[in-house]
Amino acid sequence: MPRPTSNPLSISSLTAPVAMGYVPLGAVFGFLFVQAGGSGWLALAASLLIYAGAAQFMMVPMLAAGLPVGAIVLATLVLNLRHVFYGLSLLNTLPASRWRRWYCIFALTDETYSVLTALPARERAPRMTLISALNQGWWVIGTALGAVLGAQAQVGLAGLDFVLASLFAVLAVEQWRARRDPLPIWIAAAAYAAGCILMPSQALAIAIALSLVAAALRPARTAPATGAAHD
Amino acid sequence: MTDTGYVLTAIALMALVTILLRALPFIAGHWLRRHPIVHKLGDSLPLSIMVLLLIDTAAGQARSHDGLPWQELAAVALVILLQWRTRQTLLSIAAGTALYVALRAL
Repeated sequence: MPRPTSNPLSISSLTAPVAMGYVPLGAVFGFLFVQAGGSGWLALAASLLIYAGAAQFMMVPMLAAGLPVGAIVLATLVLNLRHVFYGLSLLNTLPASRWRRWYCIFALTDETYSVLTALPARERAPRMTLISALNQGWWVIGTALGAVLGAQAQVGLAGLDFVLASLFAVLAVEQWRARRDPLPIWIAAAAYAAGCILMPSQALAIAIALSLVAAALRPARTAPATGAAHD
Repeated sequence: MTDTGYVLTAIALMALVTILLRALPFIAGHWLRRHPIVHKLGDSLPLSIMVLLLIDTAAGQARSHDGLPWQELAAVALVILLQWRTRQTLLSIAAGTALYVALRAL
């Protein structure tokens, strides 16, 4: 029976869908991390300290290949750049307490962002810390489960790391849903083709630089952006 | 991956970069909002970057086997279709990855 509350959206109804996604996905991260040769406690440290799903999935093959830390950090910077544009819409709704405020900023993932923006503005600040902490809790629990499983199982499934490509596809679809603007897709495709021609070993880096320049040079869209990032 | 110092350094620096990016709008939001170029980058860049990462990761997978990348294309198409229709991230990722693993095992 629902408890009497001023808001029909209870904390559990907000965080349960996130749990359904974060526990299994965190488990896949923990599993892949341990299968790649990493220690379980380091997988847990990553989920506690970094807490950025896509970047964590990306780090596994990079660490396994022994790439320089600088390359991994640069990749994290590029991948998480989108978070800069999320915070702009939550500017005035942070909790007052300094520690809570910093924790909420730290824990502002894609999922937490969409849960928070679904709340009425005046409800956000008081509930933000609890929602953020529960969501990270699911992610950490999932990581621990996956790390334990990964330490015991020995699977040789070719293609399990396709989960990273699938995650990027999901994030691309959600970016598309927010803006419905095809030009960035054509920019990316053309930039990647140019990167492959200019220097195949650095195609991604060249393509990102070209996309950045193209995004800065393109004329402003005539219709104001409908995305939540600027409201 | 067995070198704890190397992995810990990467984790610490990734954590630092991630929190700085998440904090930037709260620290410099008013400055950022005044500049039209920030809006233009915010409109375009996230989708471009996700498409680039998708192409690059799928191309990397395709290089790990012989032949044409039809397995990658089929799996990515399934993920996009499911995510567009259902918005169930876990379902989309699980189904796409399972299809890919199955196609590779053929």
